[in-house]
Amino acid sequence: MNRAWWWALLALAIAGSIVFYLLTIPKTLPASALPAHKPDLANGEYMFIAGSCAECHAVPVDKCKSTRVRDKHVLAGGRCIKTPYGIFNVPNISPDKETGIGKWTTLDFINAMKRGIGPGGTHLYPAFPYTSYQRMTYEDLIDLKTYLDTLPAVKNEVPPHQLTFPYNVRRGVGLWQLLYVDGKTFKPDPKASEEVNRGAYLAKGPGHCAECHSPRNFIGGVIASEAFAGARNPEGKGRIPNITPSHDGIGDWTADDIAYFFETGNTPEFDVVGGLMAPVQDNLAKLKPADRAALAAFLKSLPPRPDAVPKKNKSGRDNGHDDDGGDAEGDTGQPDGTE
Amino acid sequence: MQKLLMMIVCAGVGVAICTTAAISAEDLVAAVKERRDLMKKTVAPAAKLGGQMVKGVKPFDAAKAAKAMNEINGVPDKYVTLFPKGTEHGGIADSQIPDTDDQSEAKPEIWENFDDFKAIAMKLKDASAKAASAAEQGKGTFTAAFKDMTKVCKECHESYREKLEH
Repeated sequence: MNRAWWWALLALAIAGSIVFYLLTIPKTLPASALPAHKPDLANGEYMFIAGSCAECHAVPVDKCKSTRVRDKHVLAGGRCIKTPYGIFNVPNISPDKETGIGKWTTLDFINAMKRGIGPGGTHLYPAFPYTSYQRMTYEDLIDLKTYLDTLPAVKNEVPPHQLTFPYNVRRGVGLWQLLYVDGKTFKPDPKASEEVNRGAYLAKGPGHCAECHSPRNFIGGVIASEAFAGARNPEGKGRIPNITPSHDGIGDWTADDIAYFFETGNTPEFDVVGGLMAPVQDNLAKLKPADRAALAAFLKSLPPRPDAVPKKNKSGRDNGHDDDGGDAEGDTGQPDGTE
Repeated sequence: MQKLLMMIVCAGVGVAICTTAAISAEDLVAAVKERRDLMKKTVAPAAKLGGQMVKGVKPFDAAKAAKAMNEINGVPDKYVTLFPKGTEHGGIADSQIPDTDDQSEAKPEIWENFDDFKAIAMKLKDASAKAASAAEQGKGTFTAAFKDMTKVCKECHESYREKLEH
């Protein structure tokens, strides 16, 4: 009897492992998925700007936690991002053959962007926002790859991520991808205007706005029903604002106000953008005015939502002595550099 | 005699140490309030007035624009003296400020890179002076100078401000 139990348990463990293995088999695209397309380098650069690639991948100015970068075109990585799951060390995506992505084919690149799978079937962690990039068109991705290939190749070996269990089990990302990755390109909404659709594409695809501006659930997935309704700052102590057209959000901003903010960094009250949004706004300022207007029109078209993360009570200090209540969603670990 | 002199000196040094060490929590709270008031009550309305003229919400008025920029110009020198240790966000001062809206938005990085922080404040002084004199040369020149000043605001907000509410 006792023995039979052990056998049953062993069988269960084996069956579980097989199921885990099968579920997490990297789902990659075949070469036949790529359309025939003559790369457009200028559009590739435009996607690079719209996608704010440099904001994570460019070499930080001094310490790894610094958000200032030396040169937006030197994508040798090295930034560190503290999260509740551990520390992510941002990889080198310069065209260096050994330490960067110089050996990647266009198909490799597209599998990373649309499937979250690196060459050799490596599951990539979703700190790299392929959950948004998967919505980009093949043409835009091919152009982007072509542009990245023209940037300086820099040898820089970035240390591996330092994640806690179970997040350090890379293969487990495959399960997560079952929920959040389908590789489907953005489809315009036939009921929306061309302008709103263009804005939606830029915001949901390259711009990956929802990645910061939406709350996440306990496994780190964006909560779709609260998308764009704000979140805790994953890297700081404040909150990332609600950008839906509600009372809590930016309902009192006109579309022109939003586009003006993208262009200048000035809010309607003429406060000036800061934090992680500052370099993103620098990029938005480089887009075509029509694209800034399209993004604004898209934001105005969103369902108005209350703040996903309620503002602290006036007596905020009462709910804990630390900065953000220590809740896993936004806790950055120990405060750095104060001791 | 010598002993007496020593005692007086010691007492004096003691008092000096006591007074320097005793930056009380109230003083820290006062520093946070004073610098936030400088931003909210002096810089913000002036920037808004200038910005509205640039954006075309209000008609351009050279004299008013120059006055607003001069008001901003008067802030940086005082502002950088209002950052005693303990006034970072979540620091000693904040533990005495019940209303989160009034708490410090200063990132601890300010004290790690105080020279850089001060240098940006001095850039603001320079940029606001330029914007004030640009106002006399018409809206176009003022607009360019105002935008340059905005870049300085942004540089500081990017690295050193922890925006808590909006």
